[in-house]
Amino acid sequence: MAEESSMAAAELLRQAELLKQGAEARLYRAVFLGRPAVVKQRFPKRYRHPVLDERLTHRRTVQEVRSILRCRKAGISAPVVYFVDYTSHCIFLEEIVGSVTVRDHIASTQETHPNPERELEPLADGMGQILARMHDEDVIHGDLTTSNMLLRSGASDLVLIDFGLSYISALPEDKGVDLYVLEKAFLSTHPNTEALFDKLLKSYAAASKKSPAVIKKLDEVRLRGRKRSMVG
Amino acid sequence: MHVTQSLELFPDHKVTQVLFRDVKNAAELRQSAVEGKINGALINPTMLVHPFQVLVAANKAVHLDKIGKMKTRSLYSEVIFNLSPTNNISEAFKRFGISDGDDCVLVVLVQSTDESQLLEEITAKVDGRQVPVEEISSLSDPAKIKKLYKVSPLEEKCGTLLDAVVCRMATKDVM
Ligand SMILES: Nc1ncnc2c1ncn2[C@@H]1O[C@H](COP(=O)(O)O)[C@@H](O)[C@H]1O
Repeated sequence: MAEESSMAAAELLRQAELLKQGAEARLYRAVFLGRPAVVKQRFPKRYRHPVLDERLTHRRTVQEVRSILRCRKAGISAPVVYFVDYTSHCIFLEEIVGSVTVRDHIASTQETHPNPERELEPLADGMGQILARMHDEDVIHGDLTTSNMLLRSGASDLVLIDFGLSYISALPEDKGVDLYVLEKAFLSTHPNTEALFDKLLKSYAAASKKSPAVIKKLDEVRLRGRKRSMVG
Repeated sequence: MHVTQSLELFPDHKVTQVLFRDVKNAAELRQSAVEGKINGALINPTMLVHPFQVLVAANKAVHLDKIGKMKTRSLYSEVIFNLSPTNNISEAFKRFGISDGDDCVLVVLVQSTDESQLLEEITAKVDGRQVPVEEISSLSDPAKIKKLYKVSPLEEKCGTLLDAVVCRMATKDVM
């Protein structure tokens, strides 16, 4: 019987548009209950033991919807969860229609704008603020990149997505590493944005009461990262 | 005036919603439902924000039915249970099912695509005035809904009340 339901999802997804093929999951665009939706389906990893794999996949799915709800309750935008199918490991989410990723927005601004730095400052501020609020809720995103933040069409409104690696922690170290992951991704994706990222951190620091300990940890993690790369 | 939506995950199932006002026989209807004589869910619309809320509940009910994991005894009681933010079945019926004195009723049917006579059969039993389903929004009690689902003003900054409600319904089993 469980198979029948897994097949229901598989049948729907067979006709849906594949948006992204990731290492752990596929993302599809589909219509669900008459509304534009995206479906995130986690698939089995064959190199893992089946029972362990099932348990891990289930836990990630649960963690993802929990983090989304926790964020939304705190007023942090994340897609609405419409339905979760724990037999096929599918999450049906609201599609943020007409949005662009922060990554694409920064790239196109850098290409077309005479003074991109200036132009992108409010966005860096906004990113710092939303991450500060997320960390104040003890949500660690786990995979912060500029592709995992969306800008709603025509608005400066940021939406956080892809909480697949997220977890709950109050430790400044975990928050510092979260920011470090973003810093790495940010600076390697977007050339010449050191000042912009600095702006983001300043805004984060100003928005979060708990930021001093987090920034201190970020500095430590950076140092560790550098030492490691010197050793090779 | 009724609204029918087929379920994308279960293409041989569709959900029909019919809204009645000035209902005079709520007690009799409820009794028939309890006796299993009504093949539909009879819902008190004041706790509903929008017909989409019912679709989310119905889709989940059909899914759980197919995998043999319903928490209640019938598909229709499962629809009512899925609307509720808690796992207390009798509380779900109290909040979302009709009560004897109600004058508004939303009838919800989950049908396979070939059973169309069911709709007339049930609507004939309701002594009331059929109105467009969209009127649900004007019958709902946002203050009571916010209290029951514990929706804070902060959350309403990042979405609608419907968003908040649907999100809780979809995730309540792991909270
Ligand atoms: N509003 C309703 N709509 C549909 N079925 C109902 C409704 N109220 C009660 N029932 C059915 O009657 C059973 C017993 O109801 P109760 O004793 O009121 O909890 C439930 O499990 C349902 O199957």
